Amino acid sequence: MHKLFQEVHELFLATQFTGFMSQTKSRESLYEYANIFFRHLTWLENDFIKREEDYTYNVNQIPIKVTQISDMYNNLIERINSIESKLEKCTDTNITFRMLSDLIYIKSSIQQLPQENVEGSFDTNREYPNVELTQEARDALTIFLFEETYKEYELIMVYNYSKANSSNAFLNRIFQILIDESFFHLRSFGQMMADMGILGVPRGLMEEIYKFDNLEQFLKDGIQEEIGAKEECKRLAEAVSSSSEYFASFFTFINNQENYHIALMEEALEHIR
Amino acid sequence: MNADAQLMKHMMNPQNYGEIENSDATGIGKNPLNGEKVAIYLKVKEEDEPIIEDIKFQAIGCTTTIVAGSIITSEAKGVTFSRAEELISITLGMLDSVPPEDAACSEMVALALQASIDTYKARQRDSDFPMISYKISTDCTPKEEKQNA
Repeated sequence: MHKLFQEVHELFLATQFTGFMSQTKSRESLYEYANIFFRHLTWLENDFIKREEDYTYNVNQIPIKVTQISDMYNNLIERINSIESKLEKCTDTNITFRMLSDLIYIKSSIQQLPQENVEGSFDTNREYPNVELTQEARDALTIFLFEETYKEYELIMVYNYSKANSSNAFLNRIFQILIDESFFHLRSFGQMMADMGILGVPRGLMEEIYKFDNLEQFLKDGIQEEIGAKEECKRLAEAVSSSSEYFASFFTFINNQENYHIALMEEALEHIR
Repeated sequence: MNADAQLMKHMMNPQNYGEIENSDATGIGKNPLNGEKVAIYLKVKEEDEPIIEDIKFQAIGCTTTIVAGSIITSEAKGVTFSRAEELISITLGMLDSVPPEDAACSEMVALALQASIDTYKARQRDSDFPMISYKISTDCTPKEEKQNA
């Protein structure tokens, strides 16, 4: 069951990041399939929790550097086949029946997706389409994208773990909003990485990041991190403003979204005190 | 391949990231000021002198730490403990010539490697010896921030 759980987690990431490579309508399908695989992950997770069995979010590094998207599609199909062969490890047949049905459909759908050349997602040219970036702006944006794609993935998993292990409806509403928001940010930044030719899957999480003892301290730290992220967005908006009005307004938009995240975390903090 | 391209390679696909199940030793390097840390896991082959057969790392830290971890563990894989300790010494010797925020990350990885080697050696004498953890001495605050403080 642990291996099954890990492979579903890796399938979610591999599918999501294949979506970033695509420049066609396939991207939307891959995003939807990634959502479904994430839900599978949460159902299996709930099965661990019901059985009071410890689990982790450990994953192996996921190599995604390909020239043709069909190479990733073949990889996803291999991953799905491996998961299908392990479904019996979960004893909740309602989950596995549903998962199997989804996997069979998605596998056949992926086989129909058109071929695309995706070399540009990995060519490290760090140019952004139709935007002239100064060297300073290019370097700042590169570091920001690596830091933030990891951070958004981390936030998704941390809030997911907290939500899965809490029965507090007030907190869970907040955790779910923060998960949804982090998905949006991850997708925004992941697409930008692919556009700049620097796409890579974030590293896995150390257990102590999501298995924390002190929710109050976690929320306090989270608020400080959001404030730091706001500052970084502000700095980036300033650094790229002369190069691109689009980027400047995008980072201002992201910066303003962080305000609500802070408000939600303060609300959660108030609730647990 | 120029230096930038090498760095991008490590950023996009860090080498040796993860955990070794049933590792022979683990060591930690940490920054007591901000909670960042690096864990290094070793699988060791005993020959005339111990050889690092496999090595992996995990980190709570920034992209620079991940790049440093990827580079240092790649260099340390397959070498003897003596060569790995030379590598640590070279890394620590270069810290003065890089910005403090980068120096702290490299120091954390180098100390984690030293801690894992020391843990392994200590366990040859006492199999219950606890995992060793070293704290970095470099303050990673950038110079500009110190001046503004």
